[in-house]
Amino acid sequence: MAFVEYVNEKANPRRDDRLRTCHAYGGTACGLVKDSQGGCLVNKDRSFSQTFGCQMSLSMFMLQTIPDTVSILHGPVGCGGASPGRDYRVREGNRARGLKEQRVIWYNTNLNESDVINGGEDSLEKTILAIEERHHPKAIFIVSTCVPGIIGDDVDALAAQLQERVKAKLIPLHCEGFKTKIVATAYDAVYHGIARHLIDDQEDAPAEAAGAAQGQADGLIPVNVFNFSSMGRIDEVELARLLKGIGLEANFFPNYVHPDAFNHLKKAALNISVCATHDDYFLEYLKEKFGTPYLIGTMPIGSRNTSEWLLAIAGKLGKEEVAQQFITAETKELEAALAPYQERFQGKRVYISGGEIRVPATGMLMQELGFKVIGLRAHHYDEFGDDLYLKVAENDPDMEVNVATTQPFELVNLLNRAKPDLYIGHAGSNVYAAKLGIPGFPLFNTPKSYYGYRGAYEVALQVDRLLRNQAYQRKLKEHTRNPYHESWYQQDPYHYITG
Amino acid sequence: MATFIERPRNSCALGGALTTLNALQGVIPIIHASNGCGGNICGTIMAGSGYQGGGYIGALSVPSSNVSEKEILFGGEERLEEQVAATLELVDGQVYVIVTGCMTEIIGDDAKAVARRFQQQGKPVFAAETAGFKGNAYHGYDLLLEALIREGVVGPKGVEKEPHQVNLWGIVPGHDPFWRGDLLEIKRLLGLLGLQVSTFIAPDETADNLRQASKAAGNIIVSQSYGVAAAKVFEEEYGTPFLAVDLPVGPTATADFLRQVGRFLGLETTKVEEVIRREDGQYYWFIERLADFYTDLDMQHYAVVVSNANYSAPIARFLADDLGWLPEVVVVTEPLAEEQKAHIQEALAGLAELKDGQVPKVLFETDPYEIHNAVVAHWPKNNGEKYAHKLSPAFVIGSSFEKDLAAAIGARHLTVSFPILDRVLLDRGYSGYNGALHLVEDLLAVVVGGR
Repeated sequence: MAFVEYVNEKANPRRDDRLRTCHAYGGTACGLVKDSQGGCLVNKDRSFSQTFGCQMSLSMFMLQTIPDTVSILHGPVGCGGASPGRDYRVREGNRARGLKEQRVIWYNTNLNESDVINGGEDSLEKTILAIEERHHPKAIFIVSTCVPGIIGDDVDALAAQLQERVKAKLIPLHCEGFKTKIVATAYDAVYHGIARHLIDDQEDAPAEAAGAAQGQADGLIPVNVFNFSSMGRIDEVELARLLKGIGLEANFFPNYVHPDAFNHLKKAALNISVCATHDDYFLEYLKEKFGTPYLIGTMPIGSRNTSEWLLAIAGKLGKEEVAQQFITAETKELEAALAPYQERFQGKRVYISGGEIRVPATGMLMQELGFKVIGLRAHHYDEFGDDLYLKVAENDPDMEVNVATTQPFELVNLLNRAKPDLYIGHAGSNVYAAKLGIPGFPLFNTPKSYYGYRGAYEVALQVDRLLRNQAYQRKLKEHTRNPYHESWYQQDPYHYITG
Repeated sequence: MATFIERPRNSCALGGALTTLNALQGVIPIIHASNGCGGNICGTIMAGSGYQGGGYIGALSVPSSNVSEKEILFGGEERLEEQVAATLELVDGQVYVIVTGCMTEIIGDDAKAVARRFQQQGKPVFAAETAGFKGNAYHGYDLLLEALIREGVVGPKGVEKEPHQVNLWGIVPGHDPFWRGDLLEIKRLLGLLGLQVSTFIAPDETADNLRQASKAAGNIIVSQSYGVAAAKVFEEEYGTPFLAVDLPVGPTATADFLRQVGRFLGLETTKVEEVIRREDGQYYWFIERLADFYTDLDMQHYAVVVSNANYSAPIARFLADDLGWLPEVVVVTEPLAEEQKAHIQEALAGLAELKDGQVPKVLFETDPYEIHNAVVAHWPKNNGEKYAHKLSPAFVIGSSFEKDLAAAIGARHLTVSFPILDRVLLDRGYSGYNGALHLVEDLLAVVVGGR
């Protein structure tokens, strides 16, 4: 189905129905790509599993950055409970971008037993009207969770009906957690709502826009770069610096963008994703709808991927020559800065776990720093991983890969076998490595720098610091334990993968 | 129909049940729900309770059936059974407790029947129905404890009571951010009375404390709101009497508490009074050396307290009756039954030291917007008049949500209730004698913090 047709529907499709997704696999990098391409992985699951996140929880990471909006968690009182932890991050993000500091405000419709029987629409209506009266936001995101999904609340009809009475744009989002184990579907759900409600149909041809921009005094061509919550402002500044170096002006969407400003999306000559897990749904839509070309391959982490990313962009806009010169100068400078660290890291072994795309990109960065990558773990897998997984394993086709959304039990089994010198992990997983005595470097840790050439140096600096004293992890190992029977560590780590 | 909540200050019933299970020694939780429930709850506690992680088996390591569309359509009991069997194989624990979420209860899965099938094979598997839509986390605490008592985790039947053994309940782990410090301090004090105390969460306890809990001579609930329903079930099942009292904060309330416990268990008065005398002595040994600074700089404040049913009145009482402050407004942030509200109103009407008999204004309100407006309306505004009545200096003692409120009335701010984002909590607690010393330290640290 075409993406413009998807967007005509009330709810976005599940990634499971759109991509060759997988969330349970154990094997090698090359095996993964081959099996995924062969369609062998879509039905894989686990007979033992541990909790993780859902569409609802992940969607909030995007929504709560958008200024002048309020989110409604339409569900029982626990849904959205992790929001307090984003308040300071969002205010930090506001400050870093020179925006007005805004508290994260969200409401919960607090569905109870009688609502489960009688429906939650009345409660939702009251919530919408109260928010309009109290906060006068530009938009209200209505995040529909599992319970209204099951009891059959017609959130879209209610929003359409109430829209006449409220000034805030009402944006229903379908984020029922039970619908998919591919949590990143949340990004599609949010983009789906943005596409349906915050972007009008007026054409704004990208070619013209580019031409107009080239007529500007600075001659920079406007491009859009798509950000996300695991990328700090400092990374945006670095990417903007790199793009400026080849004659482009970067505008960042969707995080921290005012609801009124989404129409400016149409002015770009190119839409650039730095993470396919995040943006493919939206960029396909923008291409079909407005004809804007896009680039979604590489993540600019590490020297090689950053250079390839810049070259690919330059190729789309006829900037190859200037890009090549820029890259040569930048990489020469970076190589000199990294040399002393490479010497210290030489031969050290690292295990990396987290998002599908960030993990192999980080793997390539660690290889550049002198590490040997001994294993990768991806929260999920789909066709967007193919190139990167083959690239990171090009000299080591049997590199171990586990696809698992955290699943700490598989993680500790693998780490206990591999005994790496360093673990690089997604938030929520580093503690399990630490209990095995392995120092952990966070896979993302905003506002610290990570992307581009500068990010590569920063990562080297932080990892070097972490390796200098490992007492916390060693002592933790001596005094605590992970909760599994000793026999588990002798068992096949993929024993519980089915299908 | 439910009433919406702006920025809820706790999780759902499953959230309360899960954080409690996560705290109980030797007990392994198994979630029967969608994949996001456990992760969301771990994020809630991490974000709201002073950066507490999962411990032995919490956070993202909690076993969960992660039901999806297939189970919603065809039923999830088979998947649950598979998950429980694998959990028994893999996870090292003494007792395994299934907690259900919204989805699996709506589709009618019978988790208790699944648990019974394992019990028939001699496996210690139990179940509690804790769907999020059943209520908030505090209600989930009671739902869980009731199930632990009725389903036979707590036991054994038909044994003699041990006159010096008691169980301590009433503090909801994670949602009461100071649960560890508070329970350990109360356990310490009851230990001084010669009692053997089960908190079920302490590092030197195991699931055997639960399995032997019926031997206790009494249940002590340091809450007038939470754990009381479970104590009534305990009494029905085992004939064990219970004492439900406010969480004691500070020397005056703690002395009262120890005397109440003494009467409840028929302890020797001289023994109780000896403990009080020694603890009072130590408390004032510290406070004496504060007095120079405290009096020279006049540290008395007006206070607004915004907290849950367990903490609000006890903190206000300590401020009024020990520290000599002036609580102006006390806000209790969860929906409560009339009887529970009456307890709190009574406690605050009885503050002994307020000379003019003016009791604090009491508000039962959960919504930060309404709380903000009510307190700002209560506070005299200074419109630049030469002689204007004012309430200053002032302190707002509440959650991180009240940071803006404190700024709006020109008050200092200390976080003592969920969510707490500006401090990392370990053994901190504010109850008893030692807790009150910590509270004084933390309050005055705000005053001198900018130096």
